Amino acid sequence: MTTRAESVSPDETSEAGSWTVRVRNRIVGLVPPGQALPDRQPVYVASWIYVFGVATLAAFVVVLVTGGLLAIGGVSWWHVSSVGLFVNSLHLWSVELFFAFMVIHLWGKFWMAAWRGGRALTWITGMVLFLASIGTAFTGYLSQGNFASQWISAEAKDGINSIGVGAYFNVLNPGQMILWHVVLLPVVVGAITVMHVILVRRHGVVPPIDAVDPSADTEA
Amino acid sequence: MPVSQAKKVTMISALGFVTDPAGRYVHWGVILISMTNLLIIVAMVIVFVLALVVPFGSGEKPPGDQERRKP
Repeated sequence: MTTRAESVSPDETSEAGSWTVRVRNRIVGLVPPGQALPDRQPVYVASWIYVFGVATLAAFVVVLVTGGLLAIGGVSWWHVSSVGLFVNSLHLWSVELFFAFMVIHLWGKFWMAAWRGGRALTWITGMVLFLASIGTAFTGYLSQGNFASQWISAEAKDGINSIGVGAYFNVLNPGQMILWHVVLLPVVVGAITVMHVILVRRHGVVPPIDAVDPSADTEA
Repeated sequence: MPVSQAKKVTMISALGFVTDPAGRYVHWGVILISMTNLLIIVAMVIVFVLALVVPFGSGEKPPGDQERRKP
Protein backbone atom coordinates (compact mmCIF):
# COMPACT_ATOMS: atom_id res chain seq x y z
CA MET A 1 0.00 0.00 0.00
CA THR A 2 1.30 3.42 -0.90
CA THR A 3 0.74 6.11 1.69
CA ARG A 4 0.34 9.79 0.95
CA ALA A 5 3.61 10.54 2.74
CA GLU A 6 5.44 8.25 0.32
CA SER A 7 3.85 9.65 -2.82
CA VAL A 8 3.92 13.40 -2.10
CA SER A 9 6.84 15.25 -0.52
CA PRO A 10 6.00 18.04 1.95
CA ASP A 11 7.30 20.76 -0.36
CA GLU A 12 5.05 19.59 -3.20
CA THR A 13 1.81 20.08 -1.28
CA SER A 14 -0.44 23.01 -1.93
CA GLU A 15 -0.07 23.97 1.74
CA ALA A 16 3.70 24.49 1.42
CA GLY A 17 3.37 28.08 2.60
CA SER A 18 1.45 27.25 5.76
CA TRP A 19 3.10 27.50 9.15
CA THR A 20 2.43 23.83 9.95
CA VAL A 21 4.42 22.75 6.90
CA ARG A 22 7.24 25.12 7.77
CA VAL A 23 7.37 23.84 11.37
CA ARG A 24 7.19 20.22 10.18
CA ASN A 25 10.02 20.73 7.69
CA ARG A 26 12.04 22.50 10.36
CA ILE A 27 11.59 19.59 12.81
CA VAL A 28 12.36 16.95 10.17
CA GLY A 29 15.48 18.88 9.12
CA LEU A 30 16.90 19.19 12.63
CA VAL A 31 19.02 16.07 12.21
CA PRO A 32 20.16 14.22 9.08
CA PRO A 33 17.91 11.33 8.00
CA GLY A 34 18.38 8.29 10.23
CA GLN A 35 20.42 10.16 12.84
CA ALA A 36 17.70 10.83 15.42
CA LEU A 37 18.09 7.32 16.82
CA PRO A 38 21.04 5.84 14.91
CA ASP A 39 21.97 2.16 14.98
CA ARG A 40 25.53 2.67 13.68
CA GLN A 41 28.35 4.89 14.90
CA PRO A 42 31.89 5.72 13.74
CA VAL A 43 34.50 3.19 14.89
CA TYR A 44 36.12 5.59 17.38
CA VAL A 45 32.89 5.71 19.42
CA ALA A 46 33.71 2.18 20.65
CA SER A 47 35.28 3.58 23.84
CA TRP A 48 34.01 3.84 27.39
CA ILE A 49 34.66 7.59 27.41
CA TYR A 50 31.74 8.02 24.99
CA VAL A 51 29.36 6.31 27.44
CA PHE A 52 29.16 9.03 30.09
CA GLY A 53 26.88 11.40 28.18
CA VAL A 54 24.13 8.81 27.86
CA ALA A 55 24.83 7.63 31.43
CA THR A 56 24.10 11.22 32.52
CA LEU A 57 20.84 11.09 30.56
CA ALA A 58 19.88 7.78 32.22
CA ALA A 59 20.56 9.23 35.67
CA PHE A 60 18.48 12.28 34.73
CA VAL A 61 15.52 10.04 33.91
CA VAL A 62 15.80 8.40 37.35
CA VAL A 63 16.02 11.87 38.94
CA LEU A 64 12.81 12.94 37.17
CA VAL A 65 10.88 9.76 38.04
CA THR A 66 11.91 9.72 41.72
CA GLY A 67 11.30 13.48 41.93
CA GLY A 68 7.79 12.93 40.59
CA LEU A 69 7.17 10.26 43.23
CA LEU A 70 8.42 12.62 45.97
CA ALA A 71 6.06 15.32 44.68
CA ILE A 72 3.14 12.89 44.94
CA GLY A 73 4.06 11.73 48.46
CA GLY A 74 5.00 15.07 50.01
CA VAL A 75 7.44 16.13 52.71
CA SER A 76 6.11 14.06 55.63
CA TRP A 77 6.03 10.95 53.40
CA TRP A 78 9.67 11.21 52.33
CA HIS A 79 10.81 11.93 55.90
CA VAL A 80 8.75 9.35 57.82
CA SER A 81 7.70 6.30 55.80
CA SER A 82 10.25 3.65 54.84
CA VAL A 83 9.18 3.73 51.18
CA GLY A 84 9.37 7.53 51.19
CA LEU A 85 12.85 7.45 52.69
CA PHE A 86 13.90 4.89 50.05
CA VAL A 87 12.58 7.05 47.18
CA ASN A 88 14.21 10.09 48.78
CA SER A 89 17.53 8.22 48.82
CA LEU A 90 17.05 7.11 45.22
CA HIS A 91 16.50 10.77 44.28
CA LEU A 92 19.63 11.88 46.12
CA TRP A 93 21.92 9.15 44.78
CA SER A 94 20.65 9.48 41.21
CA VAL A 95 21.55 13.17 41.46
CA GLU A 96 25.02 12.26 42.77
CA LEU A 97 25.51 9.87 39.84
CA PHE A 98 24.05 12.47 37.44
CA PHE A 99 26.73 14.96 38.46
CA ALA A 100 29.55 12.41 38.59
CA PHE A 101 28.73 11.16 35.06
CA MET A 102 28.26 14.71 33.80
CA VAL A 103 31.62 15.87 35.15
CA ILE A 104 33.46 12.82 33.71
CA HIS A 105 31.66 13.53 30.39
CA LEU A 106 32.86 17.14 30.69
CA TRP A 107 36.47 16.07 31.35
CA GLY A 108 36.39 13.74 28.34
CA LYS A 109 34.94 16.38 26.03
CA PHE A 110 37.32 19.08 27.30
CA TRP A 111 40.43 16.99 26.64
CA MET A 112 39.24 15.99 23.17
CA ALA A 113 38.35 19.66 22.40
CA ALA A 114 34.76 18.73 21.61
CA TRP A 115 33.95 22.18 20.22
CA ARG A 116 35.85 21.30 17.00
CA GLY A 117 34.09 20.82 13.66
CA GLY A 118 31.27 23.33 14.12
CA ARG A 119 30.29 21.93 17.52
CA ALA A 120 30.68 25.19 19.51
CA LEU A 121 26.95 25.39 20.27
CA THR A 122 26.97 21.77 21.48
CA TRP A 123 29.76 22.67 23.90
CA ILE A 124 28.05 25.88 25.03
CA THR A 125 24.68 24.19 25.67
CA GLY A 126 26.51 21.53 27.67
CA MET A 127 28.18 24.16 29.85
CA VAL A 128 24.90 26.06 30.37
CA LEU A 129 23.26 22.75 31.22
CA PHE A 130 25.95 22.09 33.83
CA LEU A 131 25.32 25.49 35.46
CA ALA A 132 21.51 25.09 35.34
CA SER A 133 21.86 21.63 36.92
CA ILE A 134 23.89 23.11 39.80
CA GLY A 135 21.09 25.61 40.41
CA THR A 136 18.49 22.84 40.32
CA ALA A 137 20.45 20.71 42.79
CA PHE A 138 20.96 23.75 45.04
CA THR A 139 17.22 24.46 45.24
CA GLY A 140 16.73 20.74 45.92
CA TYR A 141 19.00 20.88 48.96
CA LEU A 142 16.97 23.90 50.11
CA SER A 143 13.73 21.90 49.72
CA GLN A 144 14.60 18.90 51.89
CA GLY A 145 12.44 20.24 54.72
CA ASN A 146 14.95 19.56 57.51
CA PHE A 147 17.71 21.26 59.50
CA ALA A 148 20.20 20.77 56.66
CA SER A 149 18.06 22.84 54.30
CA GLN A 150 17.67 25.54 56.97
CA TRP A 151 21.43 25.63 57.49
CA ILE A 152 22.20 25.77 53.75
CA SER A 153 19.66 28.56 53.13
CA ALA A 154 20.95 30.60 56.07
CA GLU A 155 24.51 30.24 54.78
CA ALA A 156 23.49 30.98 51.18
CA LYS A 157 21.42 34.11 51.78
CA ASP A 158 24.41 36.41 52.17
CA GLY A 159 26.00 35.15 48.98
CA ILE A 160 22.75 35.58 47.04
CA ASN A 161 22.20 39.06 48.55
CA SER A 162 25.77 40.06 47.69
CA ILE A 163 25.00 39.65 43.98
CA GLY A 164 21.79 41.67 44.38
CA VAL A 165 19.15 39.07 43.52
CA GLY A 166 17.95 38.16 47.02
CA ALA A 167 14.68 40.03 46.56
CA TYR A 168 13.79 37.90 43.52
CA PHE A 169 15.44 34.61 44.50
CA ASN A 170 14.92 34.35 48.26
CA VAL A 171 16.66 31.23 49.57
CA LEU A 172 14.91 31.72 52.94
CA ASN A 173 11.52 31.23 51.22
CA PRO A 174 11.01 27.42 51.01
CA GLY A 175 7.79 27.80 48.99
CA GLN A 176 9.61 29.76 46.29
CA MET A 177 12.62 27.43 46.33
CA ILE A 178 10.62 24.21 45.92
CA LEU A 179 8.70 25.71 42.98
CA TRP A 180 11.97 26.70 41.32
CA HIS A 181 13.18 23.16 42.03
CA VAL A 182 10.20 21.18 40.74
CA VAL A 183 8.89 23.46 37.96
CA LEU A 184 11.09 26.21 36.58
CA LEU A 185 14.59 24.73 36.70
CA PRO A 186 13.61 21.18 35.56
CA VAL A 187 11.90 22.77 32.53
CA VAL A 188 15.09 24.75 31.80
CA VAL A 189 17.34 21.70 32.27
CA GLY A 190 15.00 19.50 30.22
CA ALA A 191 14.77 22.01 27.36
CA ILE A 192 18.53 22.55 27.17
CA THR A 193 19.07 18.78 27.36
CA VAL A 194 16.83 18.28 24.31
CA MET A 195 18.73 21.04 22.50
CA HIS A 196 22.09 19.50 23.45
CA VAL A 197 21.08 16.02 22.29
CA ILE A 198 19.68 17.36 19.00
CA LEU A 199 22.97 19.19 18.38
CA VAL A 200 24.93 16.02 19.15
CA ARG A 201 22.77 14.04 16.71
CA ARG A 202 22.99 16.83 14.10
CA HIS A 203 26.79 17.13 14.09
CA GLY A 204 27.70 13.66 15.35
CA VAL A 205 29.94 12.84 18.30
CA VAL A 206 33.31 14.54 18.13
CA PRO A 207 36.11 12.34 16.78
CA PRO A 208 39.42 11.96 18.62
CA ILE A 209 41.91 14.71 17.76
CA ASP A 210 44.03 12.47 15.50
CA ALA A 211 41.02 10.88 13.73
CA VAL A 212 39.34 11.92 10.49
CA ASP A 213 36.05 13.71 11.17
CA PRO A 214 33.32 12.14 9.02
CA SER A 215 31.46 15.46 9.07
CA ALA A 216 34.29 17.01 7.07
CA ASP A 217 33.46 14.61 4.23
CA THR A 218 30.06 16.07 3.39
CA GLU A 219 28.59 17.75 0.40
CA ALA A 220 27.03 21.21 0.54
CA MET B 1 25.15 -7.34 71.77
CA PRO B 2 23.99 -9.82 69.08
CA VAL B 3 26.64 -10.86 66.57
CA SER B 4 24.76 -9.38 63.58
CA GLN B 5 24.41 -6.04 65.35
CA ALA B 6 28.08 -6.09 66.36
CA LYS B 7 29.05 -6.69 62.72
CA LYS B 8 26.85 -3.81 61.65
CA VAL B 9 28.40 -1.47 64.22
CA THR B 10 31.91 -2.55 63.15
CA MET B 11 31.06 -1.93 59.50
CA ILE B 12 29.61 1.52 60.21
CA SER B 13 32.67 2.37 62.33
CA ALA B 14 34.95 1.28 59.50
CA LEU B 15 33.12 3.62 57.12
CA GLY B 16 33.14 6.39 59.69
CA PHE B 17 36.01 8.27 58.08
CA VAL B 18 33.81 8.68 54.98
CA THR B 19 30.44 9.30 56.56
CA ASP B 20 31.30 11.19 59.75
CA PRO B 21 29.13 14.33 59.54
CA ALA B 22 31.65 16.31 61.61
CA GLY B 23 34.09 15.42 58.86
CA ARG B 24 37.81 15.15 58.47
CA TYR B 25 39.39 17.83 56.36
CA VAL B 26 42.52 17.97 54.26
CA HIS B 27 44.14 21.36 54.63
CA TRP B 28 46.92 22.00 52.11
CA GLY B 29 47.81 25.66 51.63
CA VAL B 30 44.77 27.48 50.32
CA ILE B 31 43.02 24.16 49.64
CA LEU B 32 40.56 22.96 52.29
CA ILE B 33 38.44 19.96 51.35
CA SER B 34 36.54 17.31 53.29
CA MET B 35 37.90 13.79 53.13
CA THR B 36 34.52 12.64 51.72
CA ASN B 37 34.63 15.05 48.81
CA LEU B 38 38.31 14.33 48.16
CA LEU B 39 37.66 10.56 47.99
CA ILE B 40 34.71 11.10 45.63
CA ILE B 41 36.89 13.23 43.32
CA VAL B 42 39.67 10.61 43.44
CA ALA B 43 37.10 7.90 42.57
CA MET B 44 35.84 9.98 39.62
CA VAL B 45 39.40 10.47 38.33
CA ILE B 46 39.97 6.70 38.59
CA VAL B 47 36.74 6.02 36.63
CA PHE B 48 37.84 8.61 34.03
CA VAL B 49 41.23 6.96 33.57
CA LEU B 50 39.65 3.48 33.41
CA ALA B 51 37.24 4.74 30.73
CA LEU B 52 40.25 5.77 28.64
CA VAL B 53 42.31 2.60 29.02
CA VAL B 54 39.81 -0.27 29.40
CA PRO B 55 38.92 -1.84 26.02
CA PHE B 56 35.28 -1.33 25.05
CA GLY B 57 34.83 -4.80 23.56
CA SER B 58 33.20 -5.94 20.35
CA GLY B 59 31.14 -3.95 17.90
CA GLU B 60 34.05 -2.35 16.04
CA LYS B 61 33.52 -1.62 12.37
CA PRO B 62 36.00 -1.10 9.52
CA PRO B 63 37.56 2.42 9.52
CA GLY B 64 35.82 3.30 6.25
CA ASP B 65 32.40 2.48 7.67
CA GLN B 66 31.62 5.95 8.92
CA GLU B 67 28.57 8.11 8.65
CA ARG B 68 27.90 11.22 6.67
CA ARG B 69 26.77 14.32 8.49
CA LYS B 70 25.36 17.72 7.80
CA PRO B 71 28.02 20.41 7.62
